[in-house]
Amino acid sequence: MDLTINGSSHTVDLPDDMPLLWALRDGLNITSVKYGCGIAQCGACTVHIDGLAVRSCQVALADVWGEITTIEGLGTPDVLHAVQEAWIQHQVPQCGYCQSGQIMQAADLLARNPEPTDEDIDAAMSGNLCRCGTYPRIRAAVHAAASVMREA
Amino acid sequence: MRPTLRFPLIVATSLALGTLAFAEYEHSLDLSALPEVGTVPTKDGLAAWDNIHTVLSHPRCLNCHVGADNVPLWGTAETPDRIHGMAINAGESRIGAETLSCNACHQTSTRPNTTHHAAPHTGMDWRLAPVEFQWTDRSSAEICAQMRDPARNGGRDAAGLIDHILHDAELIGFITWSFEPGAGRDPAPGNLQAHLEDMAIWTAAGMPCPEQ
Repeated sequence: MDLTINGSSHTVDLPDDMPLLWALRDGLNITSVKYGCGIAQCGACTVHIDGLAVRSCQVALADVWGEITTIEGLGTPDVLHAVQEAWIQHQVPQCGYCQSGQIMQAADLLARNPEPTDEDIDAAMSGNLCRCGTYPRIRAAVHAAASVMREA
Repeated sequence: MRPTLRFPLIVATSLALGTLAFAEYEHSLDLSALPEVGTVPTKDGLAAWDNIHTVLSHPRCLNCHVGADNVPLWGTAETPDRIHGMAINAGESRIGAETLSCNACHQTSTRPNTTHHAAPHTGMDWRLAPVEFQWTDRSSAEICAQMRDPARNGGRDAAGLIDHILHDAELIGFITWSFEPGAGRDPAPGNLQAHLEDMAIWTAAGMPCPEQ
């Protein structure tokens, strides 16, 4: 099976019904994509498919319909995505386990809503759990990233 | 890339019953016993409506036929008003386009739903029904009046209502899924064939509705 991940082509020989999460983690060693619950309840495994944030634990490998972006493909260490930059500036992570999913979801939100309100952020991010409770910092970072992206 | 269908589709229909001419869809439903328009007495049509209403008022259906607050439900027989977790609001788009897309979690796939408590999927893109199709907080008479009103049923006439079921069966959409939701979920009562037959009887009787 052929996958395009962060702009590169990959061929995997894995079962059709394997969740994309496990194909990424175990098949391709892309371990930034986190396993939290496996049932779309936590958002830790969020990646983009053709720009849409999706829970990779819910996508059967054979159902992948487009190009996959993980957090490694969102920005680079030299040129971070505005959300990644804001995450650092606001020191959002505590334990950090959920952050790649949070950032991928936030990037999706800002792609569809360049000036989200607090309520918009809460609504969009409500499926991404943070057991450290960093929600106020997540919200602040999303506002900051939105501001930077609007000025760009 | 899309998956193969869950089970072989065995019937391709292009069938005229009375004045109803159904579009051609591939499905496994039996259309041979459906009544012709004008051949069904009102009382039988009302009895069929009662069966339809039993299906429509089941939490499996109500959960996505919600009102203008755009909040889907996680209702069950025991807790029919339980709202969807994670503070989900599908927005006026009814697909979550404003904030969090339904298909962030609910994939479009005809694969069987096998994982308990996971986000279920069907062969149609996940969404709330249009707000004019609200069934929550509505009586049987109100839903019936809605169902036969093209302004509130997606512009469908009698044939269109039957067609809606056949189209859904081909795609393994929400109606089809509701009778076999998988992974321990309560199914809608009955089965798709019986629901199709009830709809055919009700429409053939002239879509009679109960008194308020």
